[in-house]
Amino acid sequence: MSKKVIFGLYSTEEALFSAIKKAKGRHLEIDDVFTPFPVHGLDPLLGLKESRLHIAGFIYGLTGFLTAFLGMSWVSTIDWPNIFGGKPYWSVPAFVPIMFESTVLFAAVGMTVTFYVISGMGPGVKNPVLHPRITDDKFCISFSADEVGEGVAESFLQETGAEEIGSKTI
Amino acid sequence: MNKFTIKGKEKTVFMIMMGIGLLSVVLTFMTDSLPGKARFWSNFLHEALFFTGIAAMALFYMSTALVGYGGYMSVFKRVLEAMSLQLKLGIAFFLIIVIGLFMKWHHLYLWADENFVANDKVLTGKSGFLNPVMYTIFTILALGSWYFLASRIRRASVQEDEHGKFGDYTFTKKMQTYGALSLVTIGYFSAVGIWQWLMSLDPHWYSTLFAWYTASSWFVAMLSLLTLIILYLKGQGYMPYFTKEHMHDIGKFIFGISVFWSYLWFSQYMLIWYGNVGEETVYFKVRVDHYPVLFYGNLIMNFVLPFLLLLPNTTKRMRGTMVFIAVLLLIGHWIDIFLMVKPGVLHTVQELSGAHEAVGEHGHEASSFVSGFTLPGFLEIGTFIGFLGLFLYTTFIDLTKACLLPVNDAYIEESIHHHVV
Amino acid sequence: MGSTIVSGFRHTLITGDKTYHQITEDLCRPAEKVPGLAWIGAFIVAVSVMSFGLFAIGWTIYYGIGTWNLNRTINWGWDITNFVWWIGIGHAGTLISAILLIFRQWWRTGVNRAAEAMTIFAVMCAGLFPMIHMGRIWNAFFIFPYVNTRGPVWPNFNSPLLWDVFAISTYFTVSILFWYTGLVPDFATLRDRSKGLRKYLYNIASFGWTGSAKHWQRWESLALILAGLATPLVLSVHTIVSFDFATSVIPGWHTTIFPPYFVAGAVFSGFAMVLTLMLIARKILHLEDYITINHIESMNKVILLTGTIVGVAYLTELFISWYSGYVYEQFAFFNRATGPYWWSYFGMMFCNVVSPQFFWSKKLRTNITFTFFLSILINIGMWFERFVIIATTLARDYLPSSWSLYSPTWVEIGIYIGTFGLFFTFFLIFTRVAPVVAIAEVKHIYRYAANQFRERNNIGHGRACENDVPDHDSDDFNADHSDDHHGGESHQQLKAEEASVARKAPVTDTEVRDNLKKIEGIGPKVEQALNAAGILTFRQLSVAEPGYLQKILDEAEGNFAGNIPDYWPEQALLAVEGKWIELKAWQDKYKHGRK
Repeated sequence: MSKKVIFGLYSTEEALFSAIKKAKGRHLEIDDVFTPFPVHGLDPLLGLKESRLHIAGFIYGLTGFLTAFLGMSWVSTIDWPNIFGGKPYWSVPAFVPIMFESTVLFAAVGMTVTFYVISGMGPGVKNPVLHPRITDDKFCISFSADEVGEGVAESFLQETGAEEIGSKTI
Repeated sequence: MNKFTIKGKEKTVFMIMMGIGLLSVVLTFMTDSLPGKARFWSNFLHEALFFTGIAAMALFYMSTALVGYGGYMSVFKRVLEAMSLQLKLGIAFFLIIVIGLFMKWHHLYLWADENFVANDKVLTGKSGFLNPVMYTIFTILALGSWYFLASRIRRASVQEDEHGKFGDYTFTKKMQTYGALSLVTIGYFSAVGIWQWLMSLDPHWYSTLFAWYTASSWFVAMLSLLTLIILYLKGQGYMPYFTKEHMHDIGKFIFGISVFWSYLWFSQYMLIWYGNVGEETVYFKVRVDHYPVLFYGNLIMNFVLPFLLLLPNTTKRMRGTMVFIAVLLLIGHWIDIFLMVKPGVLHTVQELSGAHEAVGEHGHEASSFVSGFTLPGFLEIGTFIGFLGLFLYTTFIDLTKACLLPVNDAYIEESIHHHVV
Repeated sequence: MGSTIVSGFRHTLITGDKTYHQITEDLCRPAEKVPGLAWIGAFIVAVSVMSFGLFAIGWTIYYGIGTWNLNRTINWGWDITNFVWWIGIGHAGTLISAILLIFRQWWRTGVNRAAEAMTIFAVMCAGLFPMIHMGRIWNAFFIFPYVNTRGPVWPNFNSPLLWDVFAISTYFTVSILFWYTGLVPDFATLRDRSKGLRKYLYNIASFGWTGSAKHWQRWESLALILAGLATPLVLSVHTIVSFDFATSVIPGWHTTIFPPYFVAGAVFSGFAMVLTLMLIARKILHLEDYITINHIESMNKVILLTGTIVGVAYLTELFISWYSGYVYEQFAFFNRATGPYWWSYFGMMFCNVVSPQFFWSKKLRTNITFTFFLSILINIGMWFERFVIIATTLARDYLPSSWSLYSPTWVEIGIYIGTFGLFFTFFLIFTRVAPVVAIAEVKHIYRYAANQFRERNNIGHGRACENDVPDHDSDDFNADHSDDHHGGESHQQLKAEEASVARKAPVTDTEVRDNLKKIEGIGPKVEQALNAAGILTFRQLSVAEPGYLQKILDEAEGNFAGNIPDYWPEQALLAVEGKWIELKAWQDKYKHGRK
């Protein structure tokens, strides 16, 4: 499903911020904002909810912890009980290092994969890039032509001092 | 409000706390039936170690920020300064221990008993280090150098309030130098000090990690007390610039150092458990068998609970939760030190009174309850309250002596507008 | 945009008056231009050395471990020494990225990317040694616990060697995730600057990154949590390596301080290697503006710190061996210092404990040649440390009848040298395909750390002890300043910031500048005068006192008698808030900008 977006480029954070604030004041719905680096203070301004990635991470970590703990416990007490160094079968202190590593491994891999999947990214994925300078030094606001209207969007961008205005069907 | 004054009510509370402490100490002394008043003296050593350690770690923490450009600290660094100055209490406490060592007031240390050492090959070998003179020298070196540096940092910091100018960093540089020196002296002398003061209570036993482990325990205790003092002042309307952002940072430190403490605990325990060398395992054997409540309670209070409670970001920004955790950890690490002090002293008592023959090396009878040793009793808690009252009282007096806001600090604006990213 | 108040006591981390675009240009250049002769020469040498290493490995596998000089007594020699040494070097990357991120040490951005790459390559080199040491390398997969047909046979979960397998593979995986996730936005930058095949390849590598605000938010959240996970992870790796030794009952190995002491040693050697590499890369790739002398000094301070920690640990070990009263323990250390390998012990003591102490001197800390020399010395010293722990200890064990000596064969030396080839080959390729300095992260700290913002960021408030309280009531301690948080500036801070800008002149930054002529009563001349006094934006103008503006006009050249600044701030405030229509109405109502 393709949609047409109107976007404008700004060269400073200040210009970007004042434009976003103004758009909010006029109840113009911003489609997306693109920046060359993470700009702090943008999230609350755009009303982005806090990322819930860490909750997913906790669950992955717990899974890893339990996998290692239960797995090693099962192996060393039921499946293949052996005495090593005069220690009991179920010698928990010796399991701790692997429990820890497995927790970290599950959490890190799980979260990273989740991040790429929910962000629609992956090797070779071709997401539309509105302007090549966005990953360099320009700050970009885009409006959906259907939601806001081409004329309104363009005049808004012009008025707020966008350096370059363009449109793209994505 | 940045200028702190002690209210009459606060003084009264501290006096009452100290009164409780004095009463407990006197009662302990009178009721102590163990040879050499072991309960009384071990309580004293326990509190001395705990509060001296807190003051030393306040200096250490402050120094890390001074050296590492830790700007967030400025709005609460006066509290750390005041806490680090309480090393003077530490000097007083250890003066008593040292004099007691020479005057034979106490028998805390088995190695101080010449007759015993003469018949003990291992202790004879160690007597070059474990003797009252070396004990005195290293105690003076450690506490003296720390107190000297703490007071120098404090002096530069207070002078900066008056003479500092915007863009002039002479005092900052001075403090940075003292901070670096503090790190080094604490790094070296805390190890020696802890061996002498604490590890030698179990004179046959040794562990290379012990000093760092103890220091990390002190560190968490210091952060907890710091949190409580700041939040109290905040509640009284002082320190207006201390915000949730700063509390969040302290919370992160408490979390991080608690995990670090657990790491050191595990490293020490696991290696001794794994190696299973009799000379080393005896330390944990005694504690697991005869002090199970404290041994496992220690882990739950100082690792499991703070780990789970401080894992989410939100809890570090809630005053109530932070107060709870600070109280929990202050008591938790008090118990940790208790567990390091008491079994060793009890063993000394048994050795010196020849009781170990009766109690038996296998220690079945030794598992019987000994008041003030197996678990902290009311007298121990009372003594703790007394020492805490004294520590807080002198800290608060030092707090009144300078503005709570270091107005000319190099990082003051940064710190005031600090945001946890 | 966050609060950009930065104490003047802090160092500048980006020099050369860069703009965002210049940063992009500077940091992308090494990956975009044709490699120079130095690079090609280095690459040929690296590949040749690597080939020799591969030959030596092939030799070992073909003829067996017997081609090494290991014997019944000394069953760990150069192999495990090199393994531990490389693993140690592989610690700096994660340390710089994760721990310094958590401690907000901004100077990490100059070196973190290269250090992370180094970590990965060093761990690859390290992993080789235990694999080859297994002898039958084709059975290496036996170490993983998987459901197998060898009866219910599992690896020994109680063995520190198996813990190592888990630790190192986890560390390798997490380091790659961390490194690559950081690289994705920078690959996108390269993609958007390139054409043809390069664009195609960088598009694959950049995973379709667009720079959307939501993606950045998640990316930052991920980076922070990965850092949080990597911090204990990096501690665990060398801890577990130390367990290989410390869980035994060999005197000199069985000591509880090993875990933290190995970690400190690893950080120490890792930083030394980062310094060695970055001092070269900085020069060849012209990164002096991003890896400044301040970065080098900071790293030298970390070296001094970790070197001292290692020193405390050495002395602790030494002292406790005497204190223990355990003759075998005492002998182990006596043997280290006076036995057949005394030179390695003294080499270790000198390089690791004595030499970093030179960095107490600021002069030496900021001397690049000296730093380079010392970083190499420390690398050597840390190798000695591992050799002392491993070979020296094993050479003199409990039974004098099995005492032995050990020196490596050409095969062992060849493999070790070969790992250098491997390491440098990968590192050289890395400098050609990816930005060596993290572009997005440097831009992120730009406002805090670039030299042209130095004056402006350092504000003095002239605070006094009495009655100095924030604007907002201290009672709202528990209320959420959602506006204040995430760096939305409080009004007061804004004022302070702007006032300080107004006080200091002239600001060289040309990026932030509003068209002040939109204010009724300000013409080109007045604008010039205001700009010269440091007022560049509507925001600055909106908080300026009219009296102060008048003073600027009075002091400026030219006749401004007709320009009354009384209502400029009022108009500027409308402009700041973006109320252009209201501003127009105001200007229509009050002609000539006067009420």
